[in-house]
Amino acid sequence: MNNEAFKQLVDAHYAPLYRFALSLARNASDAGDLVQQTFFIWATKGHGLRELSKAKSWLFTTLYREFLRGRRRDARSSSLEDLPAGERDPSAEDVDRVSRIDAATVMAALQTVDETFRAPLTLFYIEDMSYQEIADALEVPIGTVMSRLSRGKAQLRTALERAEAPGSKVLPFPGAKGAQAS
Amino acid sequence: MTSDEAKFILSAFRPDGSDAGNPAFADALKMAGADPMLGLWFDRSRAHDSAVARKLREVAPPAGLREAIIAGARVSGARKGDGMGRVWLAGLAAAAALAIVIVSMKAPARPEPAGAAFAGFAINDMVTGKHGGAGEPAGALVAELQAEGSRMPGADRINFERLRDTGCRTLSFSGRTVIEVCFVRDGALFHLYVSRRTGADGAAEPEGPSFFSQAAGSAAAWSDRSFDYVLASTAGTEAIRRLL
Repeated sequence: MNNEAFKQLVDAHYAPLYRFALSLARNASDAGDLVQQTFFIWATKGHGLRELSKAKSWLFTTLYREFLRGRRRDARSSSLEDLPAGERDPSAEDVDRVSRIDAATVMAALQTVDETFRAPLTLFYIEDMSYQEIADALEVPIGTVMSRLSRGKAQLRTALERAEAPGSKVLPFPGAKGAQAS
Repeated sequence: MTSDEAKFILSAFRPDGSDAGNPAFADALKMAGADPMLGLWFDRSRAHDSAVARKLREVAPPAGLREAIIAGARVSGARKGDGMGRVWLAGLAAAAALAIVIVSMKAPARPEPAGAAFAGFAINDMVTGKHGGAGEPAGALVAELQAEGSRMPGADRINFERLRDTGCRTLSFSGRTVIEVCFVRDGALFHLYVSRRTGADGAAEPEGPSFFSQAAGSAAAWSDRSFDYVLASTAGTEAIRRLL
């Protein structure tokens, strides 16, 4: 891949990859590192990918693998599956709430969702990925994706409700519109 | 299909409607059309999804990330050329085309591939990383590096595990832990990156410094029996060379 083609690949995917990384890593510095590492791997190994149409999926899969690898290394894994479903149907108030609050708060709420549910949820929201594409990117079965989307959305609604509650403290993240400069 | 089963399936339905033609959703969509309660749930769910997606897409990457990615790939491009066993001239031409200047202090002038990748990683981190660290050992190393006339430390002066465990900044590069300290010499800021050699790298012969320069900054990479090192700075190759 020549330099210009690589730039086009970066321009097409680095922003959504950063958002995905930010939701996983939960801080801007680590998110930036993950995105850089992903493109670095592409530059050193990804040339072998014959179908450029699969580049997007490859990049998200690689970023997710790098995130998991780093997390294992840091021995910070938590119990991922043993969480209450928190099933609750969306109300009209839930929809209004999202419209009221800023992007930084929505991202902060997303970051409180358990990682198992957060990864597919982020791909669903940020990249408009289908359940099949998410299953491919995260290398999990389709049924698992559907289950995690359903439970993740319920957790996110609860997190957004808490974020707006009086006295709640949601830290803005750098790079998000609406974030306050410190 | 029950209403709960339909909700489960429709949770994966994208809010922009692009799944409307997917047969996997057909029964659940049909049911949502016939059941007012389920239909109301589905409308609200899609509205909620649309609002969340819209907000999340407003989050912007930090300034400089794109440039750092491209700069890092340029260095890795040079590494790839070497790894493919191209002839010396072809490797040099590729490196020139990628605007990377590699000058070795020692003959034969063959850059260590891992050193090139490590240098690219370091330059990227120097520009975009959030620097800082803590710990007495890290402070002592910084003081040593900042002393007038001092040279870069060797394995005998790097207690890697102690630095790592006491708060020195640590990063990850190709599955290896890297420690980094920042220091100032002659009014310029430098960043020293150290990674323990393992596996095949550990068995390879240590190599003298190779120099890498790109728009974002310059770096020197070298190794001894225990560690790979990169010294990076925006002060230029000559400023780095004076510290080695």
